[in-house]
Amino acid sequence: MMKLKNILANFKKQFSSISKHPYFGFIVLGLVFLFALLLRNMGLLTISVINTFTLVMIYSVVAMGFSLLLGFGGLASLGTAGLVGLGSFIMGYMHGKAGISFTATIAIAIGVALVVGLLVGFISLRIEGMYLAIITLGLGEMLRQFFISYDTFTGGFTGTSLRSFKIFGKLFESGNANYFNTVYIIVIICFILAMVATINIIKSPTGRALLSMKNSESAAQSMGISIIKYRLLAFVLSSVFAVLGGALYILHTKFSYPPQWNLSYSLDILAAVIVGGAQSIYGIIIGVFLIFGLKVSVLNYIPFFSNNPALIVIFNGVLIVLVVMFYPGGLIRLLQTSWYKLKIKLAKLKMKWRTYRYGKDDQ
Amino acid sequence: MPGIDVAVRQILIIILGLIAIYAALDLFWFRRKTQKSVYRSKALNVLIFLSILTMIVVSARLFTLPIIIQILLLNTVDLSILILATTAVVLIFKTSVTTNFAQGMMATFGAFFAASVVMKLIANGSTNMTLILFAGLFAGIAISFLLGLFIDVMIIRKGKNVNSVGKQMITMGLVMVIMGIIPVIFGSNPIVLPAFSVDVKIFNIGDNPMVIPVQNLYAIVITVIVLAVLFIALRFTKWGLGVRATASSETVASMMGVNTHVITAMSWAIAGGLGAIAAFFYASMGTQVQVASMVPVQVNAFMAAVLGSFGSFGGSIIGAILINVFSSIAPYYNGTWQLVIVYGIILLIVLAKPLGLFGKKIAKKV
Repeated sequence: MMKLKNILANFKKQFSSISKHPYFGFIVLGLVFLFALLLRNMGLLTISVINTFTLVMIYSVVAMGFSLLLGFGGLASLGTAGLVGLGSFIMGYMHGKAGISFTATIAIAIGVALVVGLLVGFISLRIEGMYLAIITLGLGEMLRQFFISYDTFTGGFTGTSLRSFKIFGKLFESGNANYFNTVYIIVIICFILAMVATINIIKSPTGRALLSMKNSESAAQSMGISIIKYRLLAFVLSSVFAVLGGALYILHTKFSYPPQWNLSYSLDILAAVIVGGAQSIYGIIIGVFLIFGLKVSVLNYIPFFSNNPALIVIFNGVLIVLVVMFYPGGLIRLLQTSWYKLKIKLAKLKMKWRTYRYGKDDQ
Repeated sequence: MPGIDVAVRQILIIILGLIAIYAALDLFWFRRKTQKSVYRSKALNVLIFLSILTMIVVSARLFTLPIIIQILLLNTVDLSILILATTAVVLIFKTSVTTNFAQGMMATFGAFFAASVVMKLIANGSTNMTLILFAGLFAGIAISFLLGLFIDVMIIRKGKNVNSVGKQMITMGLVMVIMGIIPVIFGSNPIVLPAFSVDVKIFNIGDNPMVIPVQNLYAIVITVIVLAVLFIALRFTKWGLGVRATASSETVASMMGVNTHVITAMSWAIAGGLGAIAAFFYASMGTQVQVASMVPVQVNAFMAAVLGSFGSFGGSIIGAILINVFSSIAPYYNGTWQLVIVYGIILLIVLAKPLGLFGKKIAKKV
């Protein structure tokens, strides 16, 4: 009996030390999404919910890259949509049409992202603040025009569709149940990897350097931080994340349409990062879910909203306005503070119960 | 046309030559001066001016000058719309230090209201079309004015500790709210806004006959009157002085007794009104009023403000004129890559002058 108790206590101790590791939360989150797939295959969840989960994961990858730029580097960019579109078209053309292998395509996509990121980074050395946001907006519009006009690469107004993909020598064709499951698992793996990469960047000297650059450039420079190096790095990282998100997007939806990569998509990503909390990974995921996933997975089941689709847009807008007005740190800050307050209240209640049960503590 | 390649080559050669001259001057002359940056910025101004002049002159030789004038005349309604939108964006930027993404939506709301008033009046049996349209225009301006006032007083002002990116996000949320409200208020049926006139006026410049639609004349006249009133107000009234004081520093202005709340609210309201005029003319060009119709205009207005500098009204208007000239001539070089050409030129100019053509560098205290 004593032995069992010992083992249990030991296990509890070990578990608490494991659960404090930052990767633990990520893996649990991945397992929850995997469990959703299991429920779907048992017929308990509808396909639209799973689709929403996939999109939330893909856009979270993009938003994490963006938060490295905005939340840590303090550089506003509105050209995200162009980069995500670029990733989707590279995947669609190189792998779907030209028949280049999957890993090579990913490598090419990352190479392109490096070049584009460096280019925008060099522009950002000269142009700053609001001007940079609008110039990147212009770059995004240029990319969109490029997608529409250069139709041998993107398919122009008909768009690019991906029928099948081949990974590790196995061919997956669309329309197959296997295709759906495989893509979902790939997306989960990429999602977890992106979170691990982000937290490693944030906690490393690079992340600290980016943060110091955001708060004061002159102070950062005087501490020996190279502005050129870290600005370029921030743009390169964010564009790599965005391009990978685009590649995942076309794997999931099997389709990419040039005019969809417009300004409002970039603004949605910006809104997700700001609403959730620009410096927290879980905050970003909450923000992405609110902006992109709330409509399909929750509001469509409430009859009041499903009868008036215009109200969903208004609801989203009001949510953004209220969160930005009253919780500048994002929703995650709200959750953290309310959790802290709840803890204090619980402790007080416990104290009260104790005084009631055992009498006042006289000292 | 085979001439286009030659023209593009000429433009590129001349501009590259100008850049080479600038580089040589910089290497052998400016570097030795004590005031390097003053010389450099002056030389850059000349370089950019000469490059733009080259583009226009070569284009004029390719298409002949009367054709260019004709093209520009046909695009004057676009120009008026862009100038109005740019002025509105700059006005809000000066007082609230944020780029207003809801500008287009506020304007569209005004255009919808104007169109529904016009349709009501027509249904009631009024016949004087010009009067009806002016009534609609004023109704649209009034509603957008009130909307701007409401947004600043009830939303932007209430947000405490909101930085400029936060204000941007609020305006973005407002885009969604207004986008959702429009079909609820005005119904989902298409609303058509007729033009003031579908006639064209023909006149001669020298021996060349020119055509200008009468609608464009209306747009030009209204824009000029509105802008003249606005600039006189900015220059000579207490409100204008307040705007300039708030633009340089909101805290100091409020300490000096300027009621910055009223100044900001009036700026939002006037920006709404300007946007409503722009959206009115934009809507009466096409077939029907659409929710997302003002988005490209708004993007162009931001680009114009960046090109001319957010700091000055005159500069941003010149930016708007340049964008209009570029984007009306560019399709004749290459129709599919029009937007890329125009934004590429803007990007190059802004890279050379990061604060816009007329921006002044303000030394920051660390």
